[in-house]
Amino acid sequence: MKKRVGVFVCDCGTNIASVVDTEKVAETAKKIPGVAFATTYKYMCSDPGQELLRTAIQEHKLEQVVVASCSPRMHEKTFRKAVEAGGINGYLFEMVNIREQDSWVHHDRGQATQKAIDLVRMAVSKVLHNKPLQISSIPVRKKAMVIGGGIAGMQAALDIAEAGHQVVLVEKEASIGGKMTQLDKTFPTMDCAA
Amino acid sequence: MVAVAQHPNIELITYAEVTEVSGYIGNFDVTIKKKAKYVDWDLCTGCGTCIEKCPTKKLKDEFDLGLGLRPAIHKVYPQAVPGKPYIDALNCLKLSKDKCGICEKVCPTDAIKFDDQDEYVTEEVGAIVMATGYDLFKWEEAYGEYGYGKYPDVITSLHFERLVSAGGPTGGKIKRPSDGKEPKNVAFIKCVGSRDDTKGKSYCSRACCMYTAKHAYQVKDKIEDSEAYVFYMDVRTAGKNYEEFYQRSLNAGAKYIRGRVSKIYPRGDKLVLKTEDTLLSMPLEVEVDMVVLATAMVPGEDSIDLAKTIGFSVDKDGFYQEAHPKLQPVETFAAGVFLAGCCQGPKDIPDTVAQASAAAVKVCGMFSKTELATEPMVSEVDISKCSGCGFCVPICPYNAISLKEIQERGHHGPLTRTVAEVNSSLCQGCGACVPACRTMALNLKGFTDEQLVSEVDALCL
Repeated sequence: MKKRVGVFVCDCGTNIASVVDTEKVAETAKKIPGVAFATTYKYMCSDPGQELLRTAIQEHKLEQVVVASCSPRMHEKTFRKAVEAGGINGYLFEMVNIREQDSWVHHDRGQATQKAIDLVRMAVSKVLHNKPLQISSIPVRKKAMVIGGGIAGMQAALDIAEAGHQVVLVEKEASIGGKMTQLDKTFPTMDCAA
Repeated sequence: MVAVAQHPNIELITYAEVTEVSGYIGNFDVTIKKKAKYVDWDLCTGCGTCIEKCPTKKLKDEFDLGLGLRPAIHKVYPQAVPGKPYIDALNCLKLSKDKCGICEKVCPTDAIKFDDQDEYVTEEVGAIVMATGYDLFKWEEAYGEYGYGKYPDVITSLHFERLVSAGGPTGGKIKRPSDGKEPKNVAFIKCVGSRDDTKGKSYCSRACCMYTAKHAYQVKDKIEDSEAYVFYMDVRTAGKNYEEFYQRSLNAGAKYIRGRVSKIYPRGDKLVLKTEDTLLSMPLEVEVDMVVLATAMVPGEDSIDLAKTIGFSVDKDGFYQEAHPKLQPVETFAAGVFLAGCCQGPKDIPDTVAQASAAAVKVCGMFSKTELATEPMVSEVDISKCSGCGFCVPICPYNAISLKEIQERGHHGPLTRTVAEVNSSLCQGCGACVPACRTMALNLKGFTDEQLVSEVDALCL
């Protein structure tokens, strides 16, 4: 097992740094067994932030990466790509949520910082057991279904059909048009709805 | 609408409902129930003779919200697309009592089919756009102070649309439902069921401020010497050219009064509104001929069931949940399923059109690839540990696990054994199967037992 983990702690402007002492998190992370490099940056997701990640991977010969920042729902894909650009498998990467699950929900700086450190410790421990994973692919049927034939459904169906793809439009009533056909003139132009 | 019906790439299936969806992004199998129409639309020319001759004429027209009448065989409305009629089986004399059958006799193309049955078809598609729309808040069940619907001249904004529409039951003349007289003074009450935690919904229904401004303008425009009173909490006109539109109503003479109406009661053939003007801090009593309620948009009646059928989530109010309010406004948590229009939340026509086009672009983006990358963090079975108990099969919410038989070499020759198998395209990586596995044969890649235990150790040891 390789033990060269890089830890990157994000300030997220003041979103994280105003509650969590990110410098202390990075300094403490350096002492965790397996960690070869740790740093902070104002916005890890920004272009210079990603560049920092890429160059650090190469300079410090990192084998695994932990980014402590926002929710993975926000930027897991961003960092996974950056890790891959740095030359290691995107799944040798863990993301720690110290924003939504820490700085945004706590006020006490000391305890919030301790929580961030604990979360980083867990992630470092986990990433040491990560295995490289490969993306596979599935075929796509190039035909869409639109459920509902009101103004939204009709517009979506027309746009997809105009792009050259087949569309099945399913409508509950015997006619398409939806509520819009019941309307008279419509704001702000006062043209007819039907 | 005609553009949709005529487009060579669009197959239109109306009077139909989605009953079952299986598969995954790029590969959905959708079962559709085509409800019996009792008219063969391939033969029907839409001439309308059957509609003219149907003797059951006095049914309340749903399209006109009961303000007009229709026969048992009818089109949704005269300009319906497709322009073909269908039979309301509950009220048709032939279908309910085996009498009549006139439509069959007068149809020149023999298109009437009294033995028509519901039909199920399966469509194979790669992406789904949800555009199921909205219903209106049932104010009759909540607002006793407005008469629980027992005063015929207290109507909703959608009723008003039918009254003011040239294609409506009054030919576009504003008439009171009770006596057909033209009302002189009309009151509009905004936020009925919306922005009202105690009786309705907490959210703003977004389109009501603008259509009420339009209605007030139409009253001033169409009825001479009329008054249009609008009772409001706030006037929200955030949209391009919206504020100007509201000013146009004010300039036309619409009277905006800030205050909630606390009671409506009849006096002679008029309606009295008890309210206050909160800007003047003054109680008010206003006598009008008709009251129009701007009722909130709410999720469609069957929309939650449909979300369950397809497998994505709804928000606290029952609207379809977008994957992210700012960054993924048309995606759902189910890959390959997109949202358009009011099924995602109340919105007006410009926003609906914009969102529908956005959803279409997401679909086209998907279709621009021949293959889609799949997330590798899925479950896998270690067949050397699997006992084939099948406990994981019903637990999987995506039907991704099945049992298969494998051949192995045993002490006394070849032996057959049952083990679980994960379909990695169907598996969404939720991990529900992992704790269910009694032999620890199942593991979620990226979240293996080893990884999770090491996290716990890091925290606790």
